[in-house]
Amino acid sequence: MPNESTLLEFKNVTMRFGGVTALSDVDISVGKGEIAALIGPNGAGKTTVFNIVTGVYQPTQGEVRFKGESIVGKKRSEITRMGLARTFQNIRLFAEMTALENVLVGADAHSKSSVPGAILTLPRKRREEREAHERANELMSFMGISKQAHLLAKGLPYGDQRRLEICRALATNPEVLLLDEPAAGFNPVEKEILGEQIRAIRDRGYTVLLIEHDMSLVMGISDRVMVLDFGTKIADEIPSEIQRDPRVIAAYLGVPVDAS
Amino acid sequence: MKYLSSVTDAVGDRWRELPKATQRLLTVIFIAGIAVLPMVQIPLLDTPQTDFPSLLFDKIGLYVLMGIGLNVVVGKAGLLDLGYVAFFAIGGYTMAQIGTLLHWSFWLILPLGVVIAMSAGAILGLPTLRLRGDYLAIVTLGFGEIIRITAVNVDWLGANRGVPNIPWPAAIGPLNFEDILNPKPFYWVLLALIILVIWLLKRIDRSRVGRAWEAIREDEDAAELMGVQTLKFKLWAFSIGAGIGGMGGVLFASKVGFISPDNFPLTLSVMFLAIVVLGGSGNIPGVILGALAISYIPERLRGFSEYRVLLFGAALVIMMNLRPQGLLPRRIRGKVI
Repeated sequence: MPNESTLLEFKNVTMRFGGVTALSDVDISVGKGEIAALIGPNGAGKTTVFNIVTGVYQPTQGEVRFKGESIVGKKRSEITRMGLARTFQNIRLFAEMTALENVLVGADAHSKSSVPGAILTLPRKRREEREAHERANELMSFMGISKQAHLLAKGLPYGDQRRLEICRALATNPEVLLLDEPAAGFNPVEKEILGEQIRAIRDRGYTVLLIEHDMSLVMGISDRVMVLDFGTKIADEIPSEIQRDPRVIAAYLGVPVDAS
Repeated sequence: MKYLSSVTDAVGDRWRELPKATQRLLTVIFIAGIAVLPMVQIPLLDTPQTDFPSLLFDKIGLYVLMGIGLNVVVGKAGLLDLGYVAFFAIGGYTMAQIGTLLHWSFWLILPLGVVIAMSAGAILGLPTLRLRGDYLAIVTLGFGEIIRITAVNVDWLGANRGVPNIPWPAAIGPLNFEDILNPKPFYWVLLALIILVIWLLKRIDRSRVGRAWEAIREDEDAAELMGVQTLKFKLWAFSIGAGIGGMGGVLFASKVGFISPDNFPLTLSVMFLAIVVLGGSGNIPGVILGALAISYIPERLRGFSEYRVLLFGAALVIMMNLRPQGLLPRRIRGKVI
């Protein structure tokens, strides 16, 4: 499916940890403006995909391209500044900083000023600081957590911590936003609101790659669903097709003995 | 102890509510009060071997400066540095060598010592700041010893004999540094430098650099994944801390007029770290308070001769048990508005 609008692309990616093969020969593509979901049973290799995209792991084999450029071997901070930002399955906020400061760290990703700028209060530093604050405040009200701006991140309610992670990642102004189980621990109402928010994020021009276990959320908002099972991609279709795909059903429910 | 923190929090709240102009005025009054400290004789504060005005420069003032410098590294960026005395020594030997051999003025050597110490910090930091936690601590511990042992073994640096006759600063206006028994001019210079350093650090702290440091301290991997160039900002923290340490060394060497490797033992690194941890990692007022305690208490206890270190150690253990976050910790910002 890769075409001109493909932003992120995995080609024959294999990832081995010692003797364990976490991903084997996986092809993934994410097109501009879509909400793509990555699903699969526990241990299928979903988070490994995220870790490869963001430079945490280097793939054993294969190519990873972002806008046609290989990102294998690039520094993690550089990949983020190229336009790929993520959230974490197990929340990893800067606990002792306020919610606003967390988002500002993300917004700083494109700031150029450093120590000299700070000491001399150069005009560029002031402009970047103002823009970062504007951006952070706007994103926090977009995600509905403005009221919490001056609370320490560790003091936020669980759901707001998840929303804050999304804010922080969005603040880096990514082209592709990678969400790792953003609805984990949410009740059905919260999930619905989150689904709306993810759609709104896409409508703002971001592309979303989503890892999620909650099927109603995935099926409700995704344009395309990719299914991983034991490190191989077994399906890549629109949501309505996925639900009927026998391989997917087998991966999730197991295969009856007589069926194979 | 609980009482202390509620008092400081209340004072902090009141302070923030004051108008800017009042804050400025109070700051000036406070600094003026600190500046006239050596003029007033308070016999109660004198220690068995030193009168209080002399103690104000060495150790109190110097410890405050060193604590503030190390706080950038340990308290802000969360890098455990067990060899901070190395930069103090580098500053001291810069003053000693260039002052005695090239006869440069103290006022020129001061910025030079800062730059040399910063470069040393960057050179040490570049390969080692990729290490984390305990590993970084061990490398810095080694570095502290390497600098001291180098000084012991290099004849040109005076080896064990040390460097005598280090020049004092040239007089500026009415400030004359010639009289060894008059600690006031040195104290005022040191006070001015401490204020300058705090002012600069505040500016850095309020910028993206301060946020990057905190993010690194909180979760280095997450910081890197949010686009923070962690190595770059760790290097800045390390060399800014080193520069402040070098500044302290230059002042110290010029004041005492004679330095030898014995002035830069490992225990001094430990003392500097104790200032930051006891005072309140990451918080400048806390670090200043820590420096006051760490510099003054052992001097005060000199009357107990060989028991003083034991008593000091016991005091530290008790303090840290009662208040592990330090005397004045980083304020828990984040209040419900």
